[in-house]
Amino acid sequence: MHDMTQEDLAQKTGVTRQTILAIEKGKYVPSLDLAFRIARYFDVNIEEVFTYEEEGRTIEID
Amino acid sequence: MKKNIFYLLIGCIALALLAIFWYSVEINKPLLIEISFILGIVIIYVARKNVTDLIEDERSAKITEKAALRTFQVFWVVFCAFSISAVMQILHVPSFPRNRTFEHIPNSPPPEIMPLRMMGYVQLGLLCLMIFLYVGFRLYYARKYGDWETDEE
Repeated sequence: MHDMTQEDLAQKTGVTRQTILAIEKGKYVPSLDLAFRIARYFDVNIEEVFTYEEEGRTIEID
Repeated sequence: MKKNIFYLLIGCIALALLAIFWYSVEINKPLLIEISFILGIVIIYVARKNVTDLIEDERSAKITEKAALRTFQVFWVVFCAFSISAVMQILHVPSFPRNRTFEHIPNSPPPEIMPLRMMGYVQLGLLCLMIFLYVGFRLYYARKYGDWETDEE
């Protein structure tokens, strides 16, 4: 979508690349603060990046 | 300060503390290693703040928090169990007088209830338990929160 690496996104949002990878894999649920930072970086609404599932898991869809 | 320099510093401090520990055992001055240990930890904390390329984000903070909490939850139970048994030995009064026929020395202090050396072994065991618990829980939560995940592509 934006032709960028995990390292780029990690640097822009102030986390490690491993955290971005863990979010992508569904291993780690980001805080609201980080979720908003990621959404704002892509200039989209938070719902376009993350969805909320009934089990309490948040997964990245983009 | 770079991350690798920081890790090197930790290694040097650990080696220095080991040497000081050995020396304080030789001269029988526990205060020396106690003060050195506190100083060493303070130096590590100060150096940690000056590391520029070590990113601690919310995921690593959560791993640390969870591991510390679980370690505390297990450790305090074991620690209290040992402490209760030690307190019990202090409060325990023998129901019949001890036989002092052979070793009774007038004005001598009462016999040690729990030898200090034994307390040292217990403390060492508790310290090792705490370290193993923390490392174990840290590895568990690091794995749970994707520390060793790799890209498939």
